Amino acid sequence: MQNRVKENYAISGSFVFFLIGVPQAAAVIMNFQSLVIGDAGQDAWISIILAGLSLHLIIWMVYKMLGNPAKDVIDIHRSIFGKFLGNAVSLLLVGYYFLMALFYFRAYIEIVQVWVFPTFRTWALAGILIGMIYYVVSGGFRIVTGFSFFYMALIPMLALLYLPFRQGNFHYLLPVLNHSFIELLEGSRSSCFIFFGLEALLIYFPFLKLPEKSVKWAHFSILFTTIKYLLLMMITLMYFSQGLLKHTLWPTLAMSKIIELSFIARFEYIYIFMWLMIIIPTVCIPIWCCTRIMKRVAALKPRLSLPLVLAALFIVALSFKERTQIDALDKFINELGFYFIFAYIPLLFIIASVAFKLKSNVK
Amino acid sequence: MLQNLHQALKESIKSNDFLQTTLHVKDKRIHLTYYKSLINHEQLHHDLLSYIQISNCEINHLHEIKTLIPLEGTMVSSNLQEIVQSLTHGSIFLQLDPHLNEGLIVNIADPQLGHRDHNDTENEYSVIGPKVGFVENIDTNMTLLRRGLVSEKLIYEEIIVGSLSKTRIVIAYLEGIANHQHVNTARQRLSDLDFDVVFETSLLEQLITDNSNSPFPLFLSSERLDRIMYALINGEIAIICDGSPSIITGPTSLFSFLISPEDYYLPWIMGSFFRLIRYFGIAFSILATSIYVATLTFHYTVIPRDLLGPIIESRTNVPFPPLLEVLFLEITVELLREAGSRLPTKVSQTLGIVGGIILGQAAVAAGLTSNILLIIVSLSALASFTTPIFKISNTIRFLRFPLIVLASLWGGFGIMLGLMFILGHLLRLKSLGSPYIVPLFPFRSNSYSDSFIRSSFSYLSNRFFTTRPRSTKRYSVQKNKDIGDDYNNE
Repeated sequence: MQNRVKENYAISGSFVFFLIGVPQAAAVIMNFQSLVIGDAGQDAWISIILAGLSLHLIIWMVYKMLGNPAKDVIDIHRSIFGKFLGNAVSLLLVGYYFLMALFYFRAYIEIVQVWVFPTFRTWALAGILIGMIYYVVSGGFRIVTGFSFFYMALIPMLALLYLPFRQGNFHYLLPVLNHSFIELLEGSRSSCFIFFGLEALLIYFPFLKLPEKSVKWAHFSILFTTIKYLLLMMITLMYFSQGLLKHTLWPTLAMSKIIELSFIARFEYIYIFMWLMIIIPTVCIPIWCCTRIMKRVAALKPRLSLPLVLAALFIVALSFKERTQIDALDKFINELGFYFIFAYIPLLFIIASVAFKLKSNVK
Repeated sequence: MLQNLHQALKESIKSNDFLQTTLHVKDKRIHLTYYKSLINHEQLHHDLLSYIQISNCEINHLHEIKTLIPLEGTMVSSNLQEIVQSLTHGSIFLQLDPHLNEGLIVNIADPQLGHRDHNDTENEYSVIGPKVGFVENIDTNMTLLRRGLVSEKLIYEEIIVGSLSKTRIVIAYLEGIANHQHVNTARQRLSDLDFDVVFETSLLEQLITDNSNSPFPLFLSSERLDRIMYALINGEIAIICDGSPSIITGPTSLFSFLISPEDYYLPWIMGSFFRLIRYFGIAFSILATSIYVATLTFHYTVIPRDLLGPIIESRTNVPFPPLLEVLFLEITVELLREAGSRLPTKVSQTLGIVGGIILGQAAVAAGLTSNILLIIVSLSALASFTTPIFKISNTIRFLRFPLIVLASLWGGFGIMLGLMFILGHLLRLKSLGSPYIVPLFPFRSNSYSDSFIRSSFSYLSNRFFTTRPRSTKRYSVQKNKDIGDDYNNE
């Protein structure tokens, strides 16, 4: 294999838990509820379970397709579509990962501007964050992984949402299952954006040591995310009435407002600042994927491609000014990511396994 | 070299402490050349000259003197370069005939000359435990280590560094335990080094460090014998430098700077408790003042209503923004510390009292700072001194200032940004090629029995993978036989 990753650049396979988990805890954790309840109402939590379960299948497909020997999606493209067309398809992925990075990046900037510093200029905030991202990504994949590892330190902070849970009304969850199965599936579809981020696995897969043994960590990660969002969804449904929830843009932050300890109040500030620790690796992973694809396909050195990608991110992020524009971006990304995960990956899996069968038959 | 060696030496060295004398023994004359300031005069008379004088046999040749003298390290040489070299190291040069181009080099240097012979580990004090510290003399230090680790596995490798100082540097490690990769890295970096005078291991550390643009120390330096021994048995390597009372060890991790030898001498519950207090101290010391600036500048709503009252009250007379207020006090504390460490102990104690108490009270009374800030600043100064290693406490005090400035610019977001930058920097750092923040990343679950807490010795029987040792077993755990599991005392 020409792209065999050197031993000292590879990471332990269990870190896939954090690499998958970190984008799934990013800015969407603040506002996913109001987007999810549209179709399934108070049964939205069942939709989240369904979405989570279906993703285990996707993880299985990815590991089956890429494992043994470990290769990335670029190799798959090459072997299916031939060298030229395959590279072209891989380059399209750069666009996809770039949009993903943009989605997380712009969402966090918006939160900071809406909740903390309304007068903070977008270019200044974006510039600071991009400097930080450059510092992390230029350290290589190990540094990005290390960064994503530390997000676990923040997860206990979600336990403070027990306080709004105590204010919750259990009856808001009733009646259970009064939506049709189709409506539940629709709900799953609109909630699948909380699981975005596992697609990057297609690129960093060869960096994992012993991937076939670490597959359980990928599943644990999905399971963990499902449980996390399930609990959060239930707390939110109990805390807000559905009518109010539909008009609340950031329900998690709104709930955290009521948390008060003897020395600290207004927890939404703490959440927003601490979430920087999650946003940085979340943006770094897709950005790193962009540079990796460019290096593999176009032989462009990361030293060149990273500033290019970050400059593009900066300029594109500035072009979103209004809430409606960001909303449109979110909707577009939700559609794009949904089709990427539930259409593109299974399709690629089927084509790849057929092609592999054919090849082995010819031999 | 056709010139007379005796003459050549005289011409090449013009120093006043350089002597060339002639001694009459029976009918022979012996010409001596040496540095008066370097040799051991007692040894010269007692071990060298007396043996030559009392001998009965005729001295005709240098080799006869060589057999007469009961000293090791003698050799016959005719190479001017070599002779000058050994003279500057404290040897004496003997010639029977100044016209012959050869002579005998006898090493009678006095390594103890000008050195103190004991060190009470005043800079790394611990209440319990041995107070043996290293001194400036490398041979004494090597002896101390050798006596502590009675094993043939302890290997010393000597390298000479420094074009002017010709300092002896020794790499010490335990064969079969230390990873060869680390030894090779250290050896290579030391032998590639070109420098004029190596004063100290801390200076050496900066020359062989993995990243010289970092506020974090990448080697642990200590003057305590027990600490260096502990590092060695855990598979680290130590670098000893002649003329320096501290020894550096590597590869080290950030967390080993927070370990005090006392943690192991106290019961594990106490040891863990004190260690956790140190961690808290560091977090407090780095963050307290910047959080004060951030909350009072931007996020006063974060403070609950009941707490807001006292804070506003204490700040009513202060005319400055929180940033200036904090910088004023922080710089005062830094000045006190800097002045205290440059003055004799007794003066600095007085200064601490005058500066600390009177200045602080006066500043509050004059309305320059608030009471609450005074408490926070002095607590965080105090907390920064809880670290067992001096170098890391410097780092912590330094890191405060960028965080304060960031907090005044962007509030909590700025603090978080600064912390993220520090985290990114820590993730990138390496010590002797090994990651700096193990066991956090890369995650080494077996090392957690001795990182944030110090567990009981029955869980510490294996070496940690953090230094990638070649053998992991330290000792086998045995339960004392008289402690039964029978709760009924039967």
